[in-house]
Amino acid sequence: MIEIRDLVFEYPGHRALHGVSLRLADKAITALVGPNGAGKTTLLRCMAALETPYAGRVLIDGLDTREAPRAIHARLGYLPDFFGLYDALNVRRCLQYAARAHGIAAGQAASAAQDAAARVGLTDRMEQAAGALSRGLRQRLAIAQAIVHAPKVLLLDEPAAGLDPQARRELSQLLLSLRDGGMTLVVSSHILAELEDYSDRMVIVDHGRIAGGQGIALKGEARLRIRLASPRGDLKDFLTGQGARIESADSEQALVALEGGTAERAALLAVLVGAGFSVSEFAKDSRALEEVYFAQVNPRAHARTGLEAHIK
Amino acid sequence: MNPELLRNLWLEASPFKLVQTAGLLLLVFGLCMAARGRILSPDHAAMALYWLFAVLWGTRSAAMSVVGEIRERTWDGQKLSSLRPGEMMWGKLVGATCVNWFGALPCLVVIMIPVWIGAGPGRALAYGAILLALGLFAQAVALLSSLTLIRRDTGNWRLDAFLCQIAGIGAGLLYYSLWSSAFTFERNGDNAVVWWGHAFDLNSFHMVSLLLFLGWALVGCWRAMRAELRFANGPFVWLAYLVYLAIYSAGFESSIPQVVLLYIGGLSPAAVRLGLAGFALLSSAYGMTFLEPKEPVRLRWLGEQIRAGRIAEAFLALDTWMLSTIAAMVVGLLLALLLISGGAVNYALAVLAMLGFLTRDVAIFVMARALAGNKGDFAALAALGVLYLLMPMVLRGLGLQGLQFLFVPAVTDAAVLSVLAAWAQGLVALWLAAHSISKKLNAR
Repeated sequence: MIEIRDLVFEYPGHRALHGVSLRLADKAITALVGPNGAGKTTLLRCMAALETPYAGRVLIDGLDTREAPRAIHARLGYLPDFFGLYDALNVRRCLQYAARAHGIAAGQAASAAQDAAARVGLTDRMEQAAGALSRGLRQRLAIAQAIVHAPKVLLLDEPAAGLDPQARRELSQLLLSLRDGGMTLVVSSHILAELEDYSDRMVIVDHGRIAGGQGIALKGEARLRIRLASPRGDLKDFLTGQGARIESADSEQALVALEGGTAERAALLAVLVGAGFSVSEFAKDSRALEEVYFAQVNPRAHARTGLEAHIK
Repeated sequence: MNPELLRNLWLEASPFKLVQTAGLLLLVFGLCMAARGRILSPDHAAMALYWLFAVLWGTRSAAMSVVGEIRERTWDGQKLSSLRPGEMMWGKLVGATCVNWFGALPCLVVIMIPVWIGAGPGRALAYGAILLALGLFAQAVALLSSLTLIRRDTGNWRLDAFLCQIAGIGAGLLYYSLWSSAFTFERNGDNAVVWWGHAFDLNSFHMVSLLLFLGWALVGCWRAMRAELRFANGPFVWLAYLVYLAIYSAGFESSIPQVVLLYIGGLSPAAVRLGLAGFALLSSAYGMTFLEPKEPVRLRWLGEQIRAGRIAEAFLALDTWMLSTIAAMVVGLLLALLLISGGAVNYALAVLAMLGFLTRDVAIFVMARALAGNKGDFAALAALGVLYLLMPMVLRGLGLQGLQFLFVPAVTDAAVLSVLAAWAQGLVALWLAAHSISKKLNAR
C-alpha cells in the first residue's frame, strides 16, 4: 500500500530525509518514532503528497505522489500534529464540510458525518462548537474529519500528544478498530510505552534515515527479559540455538524476541532450567521497546550501559 | 452548493454580523436623510460605504480567506480535500466576502439611483457594473496576493494579511484613478482614448480594461490555487498573460506625455511600442521577483534538470519571476536590435545596459533570499534603493554625476562603458548568487 524509494527531502541548508526506502504493510499500524527533528513529520507530509520530494518516490496504493497527488489525497486521511479545526463550527458542520470537501455527495454528507462521529464516539456532541471541546474530543473530531470519506490510508502525526491516560487508551482502541476495519495506518509518536498496545511495526527515524534500515515487528512475538542468578558465557549462543532472536545479551541477562505464545515461552523456560541455567527472572519486558529504540537512536550511550544491541 | 462557499457562509454570515452591517447602513442613510443632504448626500455616503465594505474591508476578508487558514492551521486539511481549484477559489472569494457584499450591494443601488434618473438606465447599469467589477478586482488581487505570499511561509499572518489588503486596495485605487481621469479628459473635450491607433470611447475602454484585468486576476487566483492543491501549472498561462500585458501596454504609444516624447524624439513608432511593452514586462519581472520565493533548493533542482539535458522538464517548472525576466530580456534584445537598425545606437546601448542592470538586480534578490530567507527580499530592496537612489545622490554630491551611468541605466555618451559596467555587475551578481545558493545548500 505504501512504498517509499530513495526519498530525499531538503529544506534550505538542511537535508531532512536522506534516501529513505521503506515498504509499509497493508492493513496494519506502523509507528514512526524518533527524536524531535528526526524527519518524521516531513516523511508523513511526503506520504500525504503535501510536500514534493527533491528526489525519490512515494507510492500510495500504486500511485506516485509526484504524478497523482490529488488521486492520493482522495485515498488518504491525514491528521496533523495540530488538529486543524474550524472552532466556530459545530461538530456536525465540521464533519459535513469534511465529507463534502472529500467528494461525498450532498445527499450522503449528513449520514457520512453521523457515521464518522459514531466511530469516534462523538454522536452526543454534534451540536457543540469545535472550539468548546476538550483536547481529547477535539482530537477525536479531527480523526473523524480525516476518516469521514473512508480512506484506505490514515496518517496521524503525534495523535497522542497532550492527551490524558484515558484519552490515550481510547485512541489506541480507535486505531485498532480502524485497522481491523481494513485501514492502513501510519502513526508518528514519541510515546514508546503505548506503541506496543496498537502498533504492528515500529520504524525508527533518526537524522533523516531509517535506523536499522527497516521496521521492527512489534506484534506476533514477545520480548522477554531473562536474568541469571549465576552468570554463564554461553547464554547468548544457547538462546540463539533455541530460535530466539537476540536483541541484547551478556553473561548475566538477555533480551530476546520469541515468536509464539505462552506455550513457546514455557518451553523456552523449561529448556533453560533443564540446561542448568539458574534463571532468576523470566518475564515480558515493559522497557524492551525503549531499549531497542535507544540502541538505534543513541547507540554510543546505549553501549555504555553494557548492553549489546543486535537489531536485524 | 459549493462546499467551500457553504462553509464560508456558515462561518461569516452570522446573524450578528448581518445585523451589525444592516444597522450601520440604516444609521448612515438615516443620518443623511435627517440632515436632508446638508452634510453628505445619500449617494456620496453610499459611495464611501461601498469603498469601505467592498474595497477596504473586502480586501481584508479576501486575504484572510487564505491567510486565516494558515493562522488556524486548517490549510493542510483544505489542500487534502477533493475540491477543485475553481470551487476553492470562488468559495473563498465569494464566501469570505459575503458580509461585505451584503453591505456593499445596497450601497451600489443607492449610488446608481441618481445616475439612473439623470442619465438613464444604460448609464446607471454601466456605472454599477464598473463599481462592482472594481470591488471584485480589488478582492481578487488581495486573494491572489495571499496565495502568492503563503508560498513564502513568512510565519507572520498579520503582516501578510496587511500586505495583501494593501495590494488589493492599491489595485482598486489604481483603477479608480484611471477611471476618474476619464472624467477629466471628458471635461477637456477629449472623450476618446487612442489605443493601437484606434479611438475608443473612454468609459467603454476603461470598463473593458477593468474586466480584462479582473479576468486575469481571477485566472491568477485559479492558477495559484491549482499550485496550492498540488496541480502542475506549467508556464503557458503566465506566458499568455505576459503577451497580453505587452500588447495592452504597447497600444498606448499616443498617450506618452509630451515631455517624454521630446526626450525620445525621433524613435520609430514600432520602437516606442516595443519600449512600452518592454517597460511593462520589466515591471512584471521586478514585481514577481520580489513577491515570489526564490528557493535555493528549487533553483538547484532546475539547474540539475538543465545540466542533465531535461530542458522541457525545466521549462515546464519555471516560476513566474523567471518567465517575466526572460520575457523582459527577449523584448529588450528585440528593442535593441530595432533601435540599432533605426540608427539609434545610443538608445540601443542604454537598453542593453538596462538588461545588464536587470540581471544584476534579479541576482541580488536571489542572493539575498539565499542568505537571509524571507527578510532577504527586503534587504534586496534596500540594496536597490542604495544603487538607484543613494549612489546617484552621492555622485552628484561629489560632482561626479557624469558617472551615474555606472549604476543606473541612462542614455549617455559613454554608452559602451555603461553596457560593460552593467553587465560586469550583472555577471558578478550572478556568480555571487550561485555561490550563495551553493553555500546555503551545503550547510547541513
